[in-house]
Amino acid sequence: MYDFDVIVIGGGILGCFTARNLAKYRLKTAVLEEREDLCTGISRANTAIVYSGCDTKPGTLKSQMCVHAAQSFESLCTELAVRYKQCGSIMVCCGPKGEEILRKKLSQGLANGVRGLRLLDRDEILALEPKLCANVRRGLYAPESGTVIPWELGLAAAENAVRNGVKIMLNTKVTKIKKKKDGYVVYSANTAFSARGVINCAGMYADEILEKVEKPSVRIFPDSGDYIVLDTKAGHYIQHVVFYEPEEREERLTLVPTVEGNILIGSTKNQSDEKDIFKTAGASIEKLKSIISEIVPDLPMKHVIRSFGAIRPNPYYVSFDSESGLYVPMEKAIHSFSIIESKENPAFLSLIGIKTPGLTCANELGCYAADRMASMLGTEVNTEFRPKETAPLRLNDLSLSERANLIQDNSAYGKIVCRCRNISAGEIINSIHRHPGAVTVDGVKRRTGASSGRCQGSFCTQRIMELLAREQNVSVDSVNKDGPGSDIIQNEKF
Amino acid sequence: MKYDLVVVGGGPAGMAAALRAQKESVSNILLVEREEELGGVLRQCVHFGFGLIYFGEELTGPQYAERFAIKIRQSNIDVFVATSVVQLKPDGVLVLSGEKCGLLEVKAQAVILASGCRERPLGTIPLTGTRPSGIFTAGMAQKMMNLGGYEIGKRFVILGSGDIGLIMARQLKLLNRDVLAVIEKEKQCGGLERNRVHCLEKYHIPLQLRCTVTEIHGKNRITGVTIKNLFNEQEEFLACDTLITSIGLIPERELAEEVYSDGRLPDWLFLCGNACYVHDAVDDVTLEAEETGRLAAQFVVSGKITKRAKHISSRTGNAANSDIICIGCPKACALIKTDNGFAGAVCGRKDPVPSCLCH
Repeated sequence: MYDFDVIVIGGGILGCFTARNLAKYRLKTAVLEEREDLCTGISRANTAIVYSGCDTKPGTLKSQMCVHAAQSFESLCTELAVRYKQCGSIMVCCGPKGEEILRKKLSQGLANGVRGLRLLDRDEILALEPKLCANVRRGLYAPESGTVIPWELGLAAAENAVRNGVKIMLNTKVTKIKKKKDGYVVYSANTAFSARGVINCAGMYADEILEKVEKPSVRIFPDSGDYIVLDTKAGHYIQHVVFYEPEEREERLTLVPTVEGNILIGSTKNQSDEKDIFKTAGASIEKLKSIISEIVPDLPMKHVIRSFGAIRPNPYYVSFDSESGLYVPMEKAIHSFSIIESKENPAFLSLIGIKTPGLTCANELGCYAADRMASMLGTEVNTEFRPKETAPLRLNDLSLSERANLIQDNSAYGKIVCRCRNISAGEIINSIHRHPGAVTVDGVKRRTGASSGRCQGSFCTQRIMELLAREQNVSVDSVNKDGPGSDIIQNEKF
Repeated sequence: MKYDLVVVGGGPAGMAAALRAQKESVSNILLVEREEELGGVLRQCVHFGFGLIYFGEELTGPQYAERFAIKIRQSNIDVFVATSVVQLKPDGVLVLSGEKCGLLEVKAQAVILASGCRERPLGTIPLTGTRPSGIFTAGMAQKMMNLGGYEIGKRFVILGSGDIGLIMARQLKLLNRDVLAVIEKEKQCGGLERNRVHCLEKYHIPLQLRCTVTEIHGKNRITGVTIKNLFNEQEEFLACDTLITSIGLIPERELAEEVYSDGRLPDWLFLCGNACYVHDAVDDVTLEAEETGRLAAQFVVSGKITKRAKHISSRTGNAANSDIICIGCPKACALIKTDNGFAGAVCGRKDPVPSCLCH
C-alpha cells in the first residue's frame, strides 16, 4: 500500500494544477490518472481561450476566479514557461439582438472588474480585424483575453508538481474508495493508496468517483462540440479571439488565432451521451462553415486541416427515477463551479462539471482546492516549493546561430522529423524523456506539435513511432496512437 | 558555402534537373534530399509501370530511380542526404539542417525546387465520427509497408480512387488482405484508366462510384465506416480495421512561398516535378525537369531567363485547377489577369496552365 497525505483523482488540467498547488504545502501528494498520459480528456479538446471575465454573473466565485485568472495569466505562464498569447478578444454582432448581448456583457464585465473593456463601432472593428464582413455593427473589445495551449499548460503544471515531489501514477484507474479512520483507501486494479484527503478532479467521471463514497447530488450530462482547424497559412486572417453573436441563429461562433499560428474555429453544440468518445456530429462541420461565411466570408476554407469533436461536462442537480433506474436532470443546468465538500466524508473534495471558463480558472480552482484541503488537514507551507519551470527546447524559437550551436552539441536537433512544423528528432526525444513523458504518438504531438501540421502526420508518424520505440526500448508495434487499443501497426514485420 | 545551383529534392525531378544542369556545364551543383537515400516517392513504388516513355521499357519505381541515382553518384554533383531545407531567404540563401552537416547556410545563384507533393489529409473533408487509429493516407501506407516492412491492417476500405489508392488496393489484395471497396464520390475513377483495369477490375475489387464515407466508427482503432450513396442517399455500414485515403495530392512548395512576392517568384528560383503540379507519369516529370535544369543552367551562365519554356507534358489538363502561377513553364511564373483569362508574367505564354501557389 502506498501512503500519501492527499490523493488527486484525475490528471486533467484541473488535477495537474490541484497537485501543483498542493505541493506548496507539506503534503505528500499523488495524482492517479486512468490513462497513459495526462490531459487526455476534456483538457485535450476545447476552445483554448483565456476569458477576461465578461461572461459570468457578477459576485460569483466563478467571476472572481475568472477575472483574477485572466489578469494574472501572463505571470502564471511566465512562471511555468508556457506560451501565452494575450491577443485580446472582440465580440462582434451585426444587429440589435447581438448588440443587446454585447451591452449586457460589457456591464457584467465592468461589474466584475475586467480591465480595458471598450465598445467598438464598425470602423474600429474593421481596423482591428479587416477580414470580418463589412456589416459588423458593434464590437466589445477585451484586451485581457488570450489563448493558451491547454495541454501545454496542464503538462507544465504537472512537471512542476513532479519537480516539487508530487507522484504521478499513470494507467491507474480508481475502482473503489473505502473510508477509514482518518482518511481513505483508494483502490485501483492492483494497488491501494491510503490518504488523509482526496480531491476528485475526475472530469467527466467526477460524479461517478464521488458515488464511490456517497450519493452525489450533482451529476454530469455530457454534450459535445465540433471544431475545425485551419493551417498556419490562414493564420494571419484573424489577430484577436473573435466571438460572433449571430442575429438569426442560435449557434455562436468563436475564432481563435492559436499560439502555434493556426486558426481554431468552434463550436457547435451537439447531443451526446457518451463521456469518453470524441466525435464530430453529422452535418455539424457544414453548419460551422455556413456561420463562418456570414462573418468572415473570405476565410480560406481550403486550408482546413482537421476537424474534431470535444466533450463538455454539464453539471445538473438530479432526481432519481426509480422506474427507469436513471438520474433525471433538473430543468436548469448549474452555472456556478460546483465544488462539493462532503459533510459525511471529511477531507473529500469534488470538482464536478467544471466547464468554461475552466481552462482560464484551472490554477485558481487548483489553488482553491489545495488551500481548502490544507486547512482541513492542518499543514504547513512548503518553504522549499520551487515555482519555476523551464520550457522544453523549441528550435523554432531559437535564432539560427543558437540552433547551429545546439546541433553541434547534439546532432539529433539537426534531423527534421515533422516537416510541416519543423520539429527535430531531438525535440521529440526530449518529449519522451520528460516527467511525465510522451508514450504515444499523440503524446508526442501534444508536447512538441509534431504531426499537427498541414499533412497531419502522414510524413512523420512512422518516424515518431520509431523514435518512441527506440527511446523506450520497446518494439515499434507496441507504440500506439492514443493509448491502449489504438495500435497503428499490427505486428512488426510481414 | 556557395553553389551555382542548389536542387532541393532528390526524387526523379531533382535528379533529372541536376544532371541536365551539369550537362549544360554548370559545375558547382548541390543536391539536397531529406530522406536517407535518393529516389523520392519512387523508392516506395515497388510496382511496375515506370519508364515506358523515357527508357522504352517497363521498370519498377526503385529501378527507375536507381538509373538516375547511379549517374548522380558518378557525377561530381555534391549530394547531402538526410538533410532538410528549413528556410529559403530572399537573397538566395538556403538554410540546411541535417545530423551530419548541422545547420548550414548555402548561397545559391539559382535554386530548383523539386520537393514533390504531399497527400491531402482526411481532416480536410468534413467527416462525422471519431478520430481513431488505423487511418492512413495511401502514400503513408505504401511507405510503412514497402519501406518500413510493417503490417498495417487486415480489412481495408479505400476512400478515393487516386492512383496510389488503386495501386495500394492491388498490393493489399496480392498480400491476401481483404479490400472491401474503393469509394469514389465522382462519377468516374480518379486514377488512370489503366490502373483502374489492372488494379481493381482484374482483382474484382469493387469500385463504388458516386459514394463517399460519411462517418468513421471506432473508439481506439477504426472499426468501420458508413458509406453513403450520393445518388440514392442510401447508407451502409462496412466493418473494417483500416481506412486508406487517396483524396488528392498537393504540391509541396512552402519554401517558394517564403520568397514569393508581388505575384511572382524571384528569377533565380525554378520549380519542377510534382512541386510544380502533380503529374500522372514520372517520365513526364523527368522530361520537364530536364528542361528546367537546362533553363536554370542558362540562368546561371547568363544571369537572365533567356527563353520561354516549351511545355512538354502530354497530360497537364487535369492537373490544373486553380490560379496564380503558370505551371506550363518551368519558371512557374506568375500569372497576370487579362481580358481573355490569364497570361504568364515571365514566360509570356498566352495559354498558361494555371495552378495556385498558395495551395
